[in-house]
Amino acid sequence: MITFNNVYKTFQEKHRTIEAVRDVSLNVKKDTIHGIIGHSGAGKSTLVRLINQLEKHDQGTLEVFDYTDIRRLNKESMRMLRKRIGMVFQHFNLLQSKTVYENVLFPISATGKVTESDRQRAEQLIEDVGLKGNENTYPTKLSGGMKQRVGIARALINDPAILLCDEPTSALDVDTTKHILDLIRKIKENRGLTVVLVTHDMHVIKEVCDAVSVMHDGIVVDDGTLDDILFAATHPITKRLTESIGFNMERIASDYSELPNLTLLRFQGEVTSQKILSTIIKKTGASINILFANITPSKEGLMLISIESSDPEAIKAHLRAKGVEILNDRY
Amino acid sequence: MIGIDEYIQAFNETLYMTFASTVFVGLFGLALGVMLFVYAKGGLRPNKRIYSVLSVLTSIGRSIPFLILIVLLIPVTRIIVGTILGPSAAVPALVVGGIPFYARLVELALFEKGHDLKETGRAFGLTDTRIIIKILIPESLPSLVRGLTVTAIALAGFTSIAGAIGAGGLGDLAYLYGYSRNRPQVTWVATVLIVALILAIQLTGDLTVKKLKKTQ
Repeated sequence: MITFNNVYKTFQEKHRTIEAVRDVSLNVKKDTIHGIIGHSGAGKSTLVRLINQLEKHDQGTLEVFDYTDIRRLNKESMRMLRKRIGMVFQHFNLLQSKTVYENVLFPISATGKVTESDRQRAEQLIEDVGLKGNENTYPTKLSGGMKQRVGIARALINDPAILLCDEPTSALDVDTTKHILDLIRKIKENRGLTVVLVTHDMHVIKEVCDAVSVMHDGIVVDDGTLDDILFAATHPITKRLTESIGFNMERIASDYSELPNLTLLRFQGEVTSQKILSTIIKKTGASINILFANITPSKEGLMLISIESSDPEAIKAHLRAKGVEILNDRY
Repeated sequence: MIGIDEYIQAFNETLYMTFASTVFVGLFGLALGVMLFVYAKGGLRPNKRIYSVLSVLTSIGRSIPFLILIVLLIPVTRIIVGTILGPSAAVPALVVGGIPFYARLVELALFEKGHDLKETGRAFGLTDTRIIIKILIPESLPSLVRGLTVTAIALAGFTSIAGAIGAGGLGDLAYLYGYSRNRPQVTWVATVLIVALILAIQLTGDLTVKKLKKTQ
C-alpha cells in the first residue's frame, strides 16, 4: 500500500541542515494500523507528511497505491492523490467559522459541487463518529474529543483508502484518548482502511496498532508487528519505549526465576481461540502456573508459564503439537 | 459666519474621504497583504526575492509622512481626479498611504493560524487559490475586520491633514476657520465631530467582530 525505499528528507535552516528522515525503507501493509513512534524531533511527523506530500522527499522513492514515486506526480494528480488520503491532525485543525456539518463537508464543498449523496454521507459520518445532534454546533463549543471526532469524520468524507493520523490523541486526556482510538479501530475495520498513526505514546501503540516502526534521529531503528516490538525489542530506544508501558520481559522473567521450568509461549492466529492449556492440564495432570499473559489487538498473544511436572518436555511437546510457539531460548 | 450647514457639510466631506479611501484600502491592502503572506517564509509559495521587493515597498510606503505623500502625489492626483482640491482629490493620497498600513495588518492576521490552515487545505487537495479564498480569509475574518477598523481610524485622522491643505472636511474647518481666523470654538466643534466619527468607526468595527465571533 505504502512503500518507502531509501527515502531522505532534509530541511535547510540558516546555519544548519536538519536531516529529518534518513534512509528510511519501510512497508505499510493494506488494512493495517501502522504506528510510527519516537520522541519529539525523531522525524515521525515529517515521515507521515511525505505520504501525502505535504513535504517532498529529496532522495529515494515512495510508492503509494499504484504510483511508483509520488514525488513525480504533477499538481493535478497530486491533488487527486491527496483526496484519496485522509488526514487527522493533533490540534484538529477545524475551521472555526464553520459548523460541524460544514466542516465535515468542507473537503468537498471547497473543491466542487456538493451533491445530495455527499450531504447524506456527511450526516452518516457525523452519526458514525457519535456526534449526531451536533451538526449545527460551532467547533469552539465542542470538547477536545468531540473536535477530533469531527476531524475524523472530515478526513473520511472523500472515502479515502488511507488515513494519516498525526498525534491524533496527544491533545486529549486518557479516557478520551481511549475512545478516539476505539473509534479509529472501528472505522478501520468497517471500511477496510489503511491507517498510519504517528505518536510518541507507547500506550497508543499498544492499544491500537498492528505494526510498528520505531524512529530515532530520522532513522527507523526497529520495525515489526506489535508483538515483535513489545516482546522481542533489541534496540535500546525500543526497549525504553516498551518499558514505559510495563513491558520488560527480561524483568518479568527474572522476577519469577526461582520457579521451575519457566516457558514463554507465543500464540498466533487460530491458536488464540482454542482451549489448549486446560486440555493439556486435564490430559497430563501437570500443574501449569500462568505468570503473565497478554493478547494484543493483532490477536497475537504471549504467555509466561511455569510448569510443575515430572516431564516438562512432554508438556512442551504437547504445546508445540497444538501450534503454540515456544520462545524459551530468549530468556 | 459658520452655521450648522457648514459643520454638516464639513462632516460629510470627512465622512466621504474616510469611507471612500477605506473601501479602496480594504481591497488593495487585502490583496497586497495576501501576496505578502503567500510569498513569505512559511507561506503558500515562499519566494525570498518577491517577498523582499513587496516588503521593502510596503515599508517605504508606510514610512513616508502623509503630508509629504500628498505633495508627491499631486501630479498623479491631477491625472486621476482632474483637480488637486476638494475631498475627492484627497482620496488617492489616502489610499496610497493606507494600503501598506493595512497590508501589514493583513499579513499578520493571516499568519496567526496560517501554517495549520495551509496544511489542512493542502491535505484535502485544495489549490493555493482556494486555500486563500475558502480557508485563510474566512478563518481570519475577525482579525481582518479588526485591522480594517484600525486602518479606517488612521485614515479619518489623515483626512484632517489633507483638509488643512485644501481637501475640505473637518480638518479644513478647524484649521482655516478655527485657527487662522482665531475662532477656537470652531476648532472645538470640529474636534468633537471627528472624535465622534472615530468612536463610531470603532464601535461599528467592534460590533462586526463580535457578530463574526458569535457564530464561532
